[in-house]
Amino acid sequence: MDRDELELTAELALIDLDDSRLKAFENSVGELLDHFAVMGSFDVTGLSPTTHALQEENRLRHDSAGTDPELPDLILEQASDLEDRFISIPNVL
Amino acid sequence: MSSSTDWKRAFSDYPGPYERLVRAADTEIGAFLDFDPSRRTNAAPGSVSGGDDPLADLPFAVKDNIAVRDFQLSCGSKILGDHVAPYDATVISRLTAAGMVPVGKTNLDEFGMGSSTDNSALGQTHNPWDLTRVPGGSSGGSAAAVAAGLVPIALGSDTGGSVRQPAAFCGVYGLKPTYGMLSRYGLVAYASSLETIGIIGADPATIEETLHSAAGMDERDQTSIASPRGVRVHSAGTSETSLPARAAFLAGDLDLDEPTRAGYQRFRSAVEELGVATEEVELSTTEVAVSAYYTIATAEASANLARFNGVRYGNRPIYAENPEELVRRTRSEGFGPEVLMRILLGTYVLRSGFQEQYYQRAQKIRTAVRNELDALFEHYELLILPVFPTVAFPHGDAGLSPFQQKLADRFTTLANLAALPALSIPAGVYGGLPVGIQAMGPARSELQLLEFARRLATKLPVEHPPEYQESICDRILAGEGA
Repeated sequence: MDRDELELTAELALIDLDDSRLKAFENSVGELLDHFAVMGSFDVTGLSPTTHALQEENRLRHDSAGTDPELPDLILEQASDLEDRFISIPNVL
Repeated sequence: MSSSTDWKRAFSDYPGPYERLVRAADTEIGAFLDFDPSRRTNAAPGSVSGGDDPLADLPFAVKDNIAVRDFQLSCGSKILGDHVAPYDATVISRLTAAGMVPVGKTNLDEFGMGSSTDNSALGQTHNPWDLTRVPGGSSGGSAAAVAAGLVPIALGSDTGGSVRQPAAFCGVYGLKPTYGMLSRYGLVAYASSLETIGIIGADPATIEETLHSAAGMDERDQTSIASPRGVRVHSAGTSETSLPARAAFLAGDLDLDEPTRAGYQRFRSAVEELGVATEEVELSTTEVAVSAYYTIATAEASANLARFNGVRYGNRPIYAENPEELVRRTRSEGFGPEVLMRILLGTYVLRSGFQEQYYQRAQKIRTAVRNELDALFEHYELLILPVFPTVAFPHGDAGLSPFQQKLADRFTTLANLAALPALSIPAGVYGGLPVGIQAMGPARSELQLLEFARRLATKLPVEHPPEYQESICDRILAGEGA
């Protein structure tokens, strides 16, 4: 994988890479992509892609509120800064 | 070997000695990231305590990517830091309702990505058979805890072999159930279509009891399925499950190291001694399984790990100019090199213009793997194959490179690609290190696999690490630690 492709991919993944990391990932990602070439010689004629593991139907839960009344408090307890039942967050602007 | 009854007595009657002895032993092993056996003792509402329930008061360990309320949920990553789970995964609720007690969270390769547990950002775990070697991974802490006799049973997760390979490296049993058999609600997602929660144990009977209590449909996991087929065989009861008539072994030179080759042959002799006919087969998909697996797994990881952005969970930088910088810095500073590599690879294979070449093709190969295994199970009840081509390798540069480790997943990834159950079974000790061999069966055949393993143990007895011949339970009941 060349440097431009890797930089574009890192940009899409929202990851910052310095020169030494770029070099390391050029090798490790490239090594695997080279190995993936073996898939090119496998005959996939007539095969459809697997889109589900075992079941085919879509199963949805009931459209109703959750049943654990303690959960909101437990989550609030983990916030580092609270004002009443609101979580304070740092300014980012 | 300690029985479940002994474990329950040692754990519930001698809590102080249990905690002291495990803490002391774990200074050498490094299996636990968070250990506190009293934090959840009988804490579950409506839980069973004492009595005849086979699992009541049985301690168990949990890989640190499965939510256990009041324990940390780090995934072995700096990005989650000291995050504490506010709820129980479905498997944890079910096991605690049966009376089992979670005693701690075990080390793992960051987010389950690796085969050594050396990719953990939070500590190193050593193999109880040889402390200079890795315990395998990614559920290395769970396998090491069971092998060293710290707990009788531990939960792990298996995306491409992460329960079976560490079980093999540590000389214990490791079950990767059929996809959906154990609810994934509360398992931190890495590659959702491939992964299952799995069970590592010192004997097949306790794994069976644990599976029985934890398995089944869960409305919080829409991919969950019904419990295993067949009649349960209780630990001491007589078998109602017949042995398989025919088992398939892989033909040819499988590029195994000497101990693993010897283990595979000895395993076959033991299977034949049980009266099971064996035949050799060739699989056309073994050589492409690793490529298809890593394409799909990293593609799914790139999406699943997008949630770790510093906004919703875990650590983030103290200062950022704008929201995008916050996300970038959180991810770039928080994820370790293996996780970053897999996110980059997964992002690349999903990119416009490359999807047909990689992701689409891998999903078609996945169909070929399933078709080939489905056809095989029309003629054989079992497929027996190595777990990993080598025994436990040394830590660091003297071991296998990350790339070599991935190529070595060629025997384990098949079961994940095909959503099938597979059990890693101890196959003897060679030059001081254990070898594990896996038995794979059709969907929902877990009970048959476990019964097969139980019968096989009469021909191929399980051995324990020289320094950990006695479990913590044995030592407590002998009066130690009081």
